[in-house]
Amino acid sequence: MATGLDQAVGMSLVVFSLLLFTYYSVWVIVLPFIDSDHVLHKCFLPREYSVILPGMAVLILLICSGAFIAIVMWKNRRQKKVD
Amino acid sequence: MHTPANPVCLVLCEHEADQRREDKYSVLLPTYNERENLPLIVWLLVKYFNESGYNYEIIIIDDGSPDGTLEVAEQLQKIYGSNKILLRPREKKLGLGTAYIHGMKHASGNFVIIMDADLSHHPKFIPEFIEKQKEGDYDLVSGTRYRGNGGVYGWDLRRKLISRGANFLSQVLLRPGASDLTGSFRLYKKHVLESLVERCVSKGYVFQMEMIVRARQLNYTVGEVPISFVDRVYGESKLGGNEIVSFVKGLLTLFATT
Repeated sequence: MATGLDQAVGMSLVVFSLLLFTYYSVWVIVLPFIDSDHVLHKCFLPREYSVILPGMAVLILLICSGAFIAIVMWKNRRQKKVD
Repeated sequence: MHTPANPVCLVLCEHEADQRREDKYSVLLPTYNERENLPLIVWLLVKYFNESGYNYEIIIIDDGSPDGTLEVAEQLQKIYGSNKILLRPREKKLGLGTAYIHGMKHASGNFVIIMDADLSHHPKFIPEFIEKQKEGDYDLVSGTRYRGNGGVYGWDLRRKLISRGANFLSQVLLRPGASDLTGSFRLYKKHVLESLVERCVSKGYVFQMEMIVRARQLNYTVGEVPISFVDRVYGESKLGGNEIVSFVKGLLTLFATT
């Protein structure tokens, strides 16, 4: 069995994904069918953000991956020069 | 073994016994600085093969280890016999794929088992591999850490996350039909291993992945057996940014070319 910390991290990842999935699904699929004066709409951000936020997340992921790869390759080249 | 009264059963049992006598398993052990692990792994292999009764040989391919692994191998040969332990040393570190090719050249078995010599793979799983192979006449049986009661011992959280992430990425991109792509504890039919090794071009982790992907391409059947991977008992194992980047590069190359 995985250690306590590992299990905690795993569980929190699962819970976080479930919450995110539920929130996003309700936001995008359920809300359009609910009257605009219903109280539920207060829990959710304006509709534009349902596109902007994932877009930003993907962008940030790409930038971070690119930076990581760039740093590793740069370090590699420095190593080779030293050798 | 029971002796059945029915003559038909007798013939079938004899046939199975003949099969057993015919099947020979060559274990390829590429080594580099495994002076401490080698006697243990050879002892374990001999133990489990003798217990299960299968015919075997162990081929040690040492790449010029500076710590004297080859001397240890020679002593082991004296203990267990040179028909069971074969030595195929090389001058220097030349890579895993070429080690397999080199080892296979003089392998007299019709099956080849590849595994790590650093005790991360336990030989007790080998009879399970063999049983599985016989079950479905698989061309290749792969030990998986991600199915059944397979798993890993001795990895920290970072390593586990990286491994899961890498596996997920490979599954999405390559759709290989096998759950553990980077594992190197496998049983191959000898002709299958030969044809795969000559087709593979990559190195390191990606080499093992490529073997499975090419096997799929060539329509070979793949079976899986859950195994436990124990991270190095002696020595240390590292996974740095370098390995990650070369893994991703290799993965993308495979994605583009298969």
